Parts: sequence; structure tokens; C-alpha cells
Amino acid sequence: MMPDFDQQGAAQTKEWVPETNAPAILLENVSKSYGRIFALSNITLALNGGVTGILGMNGAGKSTLFNLLMGKLKVSQGTIKLFGTDPWKNPAPYARVGFVPEHEKMYDWMTAHGFVSTFARLNGLTRDEAGIEADRVLEFVGLTDVAHKKIGQFSKGMRQRVKIAHALVNDPELIILDEPLQGCDPLARTTIMNVIRELGKMGRTVLVSSHILQEIERITEQIVILHHGRLLALGNLHSIRERLDQIPHRISIQADNPKALAKDVIDIEEVFGISFPDGKNLSIQTHNLGAIHAQLPRIIVENNHKVTTIDNPDDDLASILGYLTSGGRV
Amino acid sequence: MATKPDSIYRSLDRKAAAIVEFTLRQYRTKKSTWVVLGVGFTALSLIFMIYIDVMSSEFESIDNDGDSYDYDNDGYPTGQEVKLGTDPFNFESHPGLFDPPIEPEPASMYINEDGFDWDITTKIGEQSVGYDDDGDCLNVNRTDSQKDTNGNGIPCDIVVSFISTQSQLGDRIVIDVDADNGVDEDPDEDAYSREAIHLAFVLSIGKLGFVLLLGIFLPLFLATGLVRDEMTSGTMHFMLAKPIARSEIFLYRVIGYLGIVWPYVILLGILGGLVSGFVGSGDSFFRFADLGVWLAIVFATMMATLVYGMLFNALGVLWKYGIILAIPFAAWELGMALLSMGAPDSTLLRFSIIGWALMIVDAAAMMVWPNLDMFIEMGAWGGGGDGGTIFGSSLQGSAPLSFFSSKPGLGLSPFVATIISTLVLLLQAAVFWFLGSVLFKGKEIQ
Repeated sequence: MMPDFDQQGAAQTKEWVPETNAPAILLENVSKSYGRIFALSNITLALNGGVTGILGMNGAGKSTLFNLLMGKLKVSQGTIKLFGTDPWKNPAPYARVGFVPEHEKMYDWMTAHGFVSTFARLNGLTRDEAGIEADRVLEFVGLTDVAHKKIGQFSKGMRQRVKIAHALVNDPELIILDEPLQGCDPLARTTIMNVIRELGKMGRTVLVSSHILQEIERITEQIVILHHGRLLALGNLHSIRERLDQIPHRISIQADNPKALAKDVIDIEEVFGISFPDGKNLSIQTHNLGAIHAQLPRIIVENNHKVTTIDNPDDDLASILGYLTSGGRV
Repeated sequence: MATKPDSIYRSLDRKAAAIVEFTLRQYRTKKSTWVVLGVGFTALSLIFMIYIDVMSSEFESIDNDGDSYDYDNDGYPTGQEVKLGTDPFNFESHPGLFDPPIEPEPASMYINEDGFDWDITTKIGEQSVGYDDDGDCLNVNRTDSQKDTNGNGIPCDIVVSFISTQSQLGDRIVIDVDADNGVDEDPDEDAYSREAIHLAFVLSIGKLGFVLLLGIFLPLFLATGLVRDEMTSGTMHFMLAKPIARSEIFLYRVIGYLGIVWPYVILLGILGGLVSGFVGSGDSFFRFADLGVWLAIVFATMMATLVYGMLFNALGVLWKYGIILAIPFAAWELGMALLSMGAPDSTLLRFSIIGWALMIVDAAAMMVWPNLDMFIEMGAWGGGGDGGTIFGSSLQGSAPLSFFSSKPGLGLSPFVATIISTLVLLLQAAVFWFLGSVLFKGKEIQ
């Protein structure tokens, strides 16, 4: 019955036992509204294992979804279960969850190691265990060198990695990362992406949000697209891509002589329209983006065209969302 | 590593230790903490300096009964003439005409020549006290009726009556003093006032400086943001993402804040005890007895910072600008503090925090200085008033002492009053913790 004064050695804790066969994340008809505005409406989703990307524009409801999962918001309708337990009512499932919040504010006066180990102790670890855990996770995210420096001196990318490290103590089964790549330099991006892929390989359930498709593409194939609080698409990126390939795409090419280039390009079978928005640009319309991209370089080189840029203005989240929401019409 | 067996205490305690330590370190790095603590220290130091200054100054000795004057200009002070039975108002009658003639005594012998000899405790009814040190009442030339002007049958004494009365503010004891002419009529002002002002200072610094000022302002500035600041800056996400209940976070944050505030209060209390112990009046080098009151002052302040800490923290959770909600509470408590000094039995005080905290100080004062009532009454009586003396008036220091001291309310004995107040304060803290937890649990955090 004595309190643990010295907090040395290993703790033996009675762990909260998750419901057997319950998925890591289960949402059933979940809605979250503020007055008459729905931040999320009627989301049903079950996730267990692997890396899943949550894709959506700013304000699509990604952060609301995560805040609901982390028990910071209460659902307006429906049920949320983490390992079979409602997180709003019981914080016990967080023993198996790591969360990387989007907020930039951190405790700048703490060292990376101090921050990670202090919060590790909230999992019921002793001081000793927390110190060892902190060393382990900081090494995992590649911050061993600067572990004892103040967070206030860290770059954006390093701070993100400290947050990820803090989420990985206690070896969670579910890791939720809210915009982990935002504002990071390329090196930090690569490191963070590797860490996420690694976690996926380790069999963890990972949930990553982003508003940039390319980012998510490099991490995972399984995506969830949110738009205006609704679940637009769910599944393998390839299948979504295939559907996207059926829609008209535009390719914008900046060349010295766009009209000459147009003559050669029109021979490609998949091209169904050509236009000249201004003197320097050529715009090609097609249903099959892949086919064009396969042939375009050859045509340009063979005919000796001088091309400065090739751009797919449609191949971003906004146009995909536009297509998905308009029911196939562009 | 040895594995530690699990118990609810152990696992709670690991999280508690983490948050408490974290809070301590966080507050240590904040400039505002040091500013608040510094301002509190400066304010109390100023009061201590005023106290030292007052205690080191002389209190003018007054001839309360006027017997050091020589009204008839015969060279003999009135006191000497009365003692020897000559007429103090007749130039032709003085001890110099005796055979053998008696030399005149210096007038200073008749200032402060008859001090208080009271040794009684409060109980309803009449008690006889006093001794005529200078012999002007016990003078052989006086008749028995002159020696017993208050008519209680005992010559040259003072009758002190405790009368229980009922007023709107509850039962009160009124003290009536009726002295025989010439008993204890010329007390030593310096001794009395030094003691009275010392006691008044200890009580006023304790009640206003410690319990009220520190007790409210430290929590106002340090506890309101315990949870609120974390929510507004977005760092609360880190804590909430761990398997820990919100009510635990609320409680452990308050304990962390107490980890800063309590040692600070104890240090200031030790400083106060040292200053008043060395500077205060008395024959001994150090006044050890007062330390009991200082202990109570520190304890009451610690309880106040605990209860207000819970309350203000809850207000911070309730609203982003919780400090604005806290200000009306602080104003109410200030009013209650003043009320407790004037009317310690008022029912309103039971609806305050400070009323209970000040009760602890009052109870300790009653235990450490059991004759405090008597002492105040002596000074208010001042050796005269109804004793037929010429300059009878209350002595310096008795009025402030009377203002700052009060009996613990509810008519309880000091010991019981201390225990009940402590229990009530702990209960209040628990209620505010519960309310704060309920508010925090229902709070949606963006």
C-alpha cells in the first residue's frame, strides 16, 4: 500500500485489457456538430493494422476526427471505440495509443529527453523505465545526439520528431499523427516518413493525416478521403487512382513553340483536346494521364522541342475532391 | 531491475510524481512566478520593517493619575503628599513640615508607579483582581469606605465582571471593570503598548498579510492558469493523450503549485517568527511563545492557498478568463476577513473560506495568549475611566489589538475550533476539486 517514493526499477502495472477482437479504431455513424454546422457527419470506419492516410483539405474534419478519437471532443451522434472502449468516458485505451498533435506549441524549456521521459511516466512507468524508454524512442526518430538539448532550440522538423518520439513510448499499438510533415524540411520529411513506414511494418495501426496527396502517397496506399466532414473515399490508393484516370485531365506544357509541339502531340491516341491558353503554353486534355506521361518525353526529345515546364494542374487534392464530390463530372 | 508489485497507490503515485515534478519545473522557468513571489516578499518585508520601526521607538510615559504634579507648588508631588497624608492642594501642608522633615521625592517616581496586577481568566461572573502597588489606596489615613469605593467588601481591589449578552451577531461577553479608587491607576505605558502593539502586529500581519494577501493573491496568479494555460496554448494535448483521468491532472497540477507556494509560505512564516521573536517586547532574548501563533498563521495560509488554489483552478477551467471570475471571490473574501475581525460569530463567515482560515489563527492566539481578552480590557480601561483618576483613558495599542484579535466563532474551545476549521477547509478543497473535475471532464478541448 506504500506509494512508490524512489521510483526506481521496473513497475508492474495492472494493465487495462482491451475487448477481444475489437478493432483499434471503430467509428459508427459518428457526427460532430457545432450548433448547426457539422464538422463531421455520419462517419463509419473501422481500422486495424497498417498505415492509413487521412486526406482532406484544411477544415475537412481531420483534426475533429482525431480530437474525437483522443477523447478531447464528445461525439454529437454515433459511437467511437478505441479497442472497444469509449475514449470520452475512459482514458484507459491511451495506454496503447500514441498521439502526435498538430499544435506547434511545445514545452520549450524542457530537453527532448526530459519531455519524452516525463510524459512516459504518465503511462505509469517508474523514473528508471521512463529514462530507458526515452532513450529508445529518441534513437528511433534519430535525435540521440540532441536528446539533452532544449526543445526551444530545435528546428520544426526536430520538434515534430520529438513529438513522434513522445507518442512512441510505451510501445503503442495505435499511433495517430496529425499533419506530422507540415512545415518540415526535406530531411526531416524523409526521416518521419521512414519512421511511419517502419511502424507500419512492425504491425502497428498508424493513422496519418495530411492535406497533400503526394506526401501520403509516399507513405501508404490505404487512404481515407474526408471532405467537408464527409467520408468521400476509402480504400487502396490504386483503385481510387484508377477511377481518377477515367476523368479528363489537363497537362500544361510551357514551350518555346507551343503550336509546333501541338502538331506532334496530337498524334498520341489518348489526347482528345488541345488548347492554347496564352502564347507560351500548351494545354492537353486526356483521359489517361499515365499514357501521356509515358509518351510525352519521347516526342519532345525526338522533335527537338524546347520545353521549360510540364505541369499537371489537376493532379492535386482539390481537383480530385472536385471530381469525387461532383459525381464524376468535371 | 527488480519488479515492483502493483498497487493502486504505486501506479497513481508515479503519474502524480510526474505531473507534480513537471509543474514545479514549469513554474520555476516562468518569470511571472518569480515576480508574484517577489512582490509578496517585498510587501511583507515592508510590513516587517514598519513593525521593527514601531517596536524600536519609545512609547511616551503618561502620568495617568496626575499624581506627579505639584498642584500647590510646595515642592512635593501630589502622590507623595497623598501617601503621607498632607493636603496636596494646600501650600501650607506638606511633608517638609513634619518632624523630622521629609525630603520631596522626584516627580518621576509618580509616573507609572502602579501597574496592572491582573491574573484571571475569562469566566462568567465577578472576579477580584489588582494590588495597590504605590499605596495610595491602602493609605492608613483612609477610611474603609474610601478604600472600597466599588463596595464589594474587599478594600483596594478591582472587580472585573464578565457578563454574557446576546446581540444580533450572537452571544458576546461584555467585560465591566470597577476599581477601588487608586488601584492600578498608573500603568507603565511603554510596557503595555509595546506588548499590545507587538501582539497586534503579529495578528494583523498574520491575518491580513499572510492568510488574506498571500492566501488569495498567490492562488489568483499561480493557480488560475494551472489547467487553463495548458488548454489555451494547446499543450494540454500531450497530457490528455496519456492514460490518465482529467480529475487526476487537475489534482496533481494543484499539488505541484502547492509545492511552490507552501515552502514559500513556510519560509516567510519562519522569517516572521524570527523578526517578531527577536524584536518583540519581553525580557527574554527571544519570544518562543509567539511561535505557536506563527505556526497557526502558516498553517492557515497553507490551507487557504490549497482551497483557493482548487477554486481558482476550477474557475480557470470554467472560462478562459477565469481570473475575472476569481476577482469577485477575492473581494468577497476581503469583506469576510474584515467581518471576521469585527464579528467573528457572524453566520456569513461560514460561507467563506477566509472565515475558517482566520479561525485557526484566532484559536491559536487564544491558546498561546490565554489572557489576551484581559490584556485588551486592561488597556481599554487604561487605569482609570471610572476609577476617579484624572487622566484615565485607554492605552495606546489596545484599540488595534482589540480590532485584530477576535474569539474563534461558534463558541468553541480553541482546540476544537482548530480541528473543525481544518476539516471544513479540507472539505471545501475537496468540493472545489470535485467541481473542477466535473467541469474539466465535460470540457471539449480544441
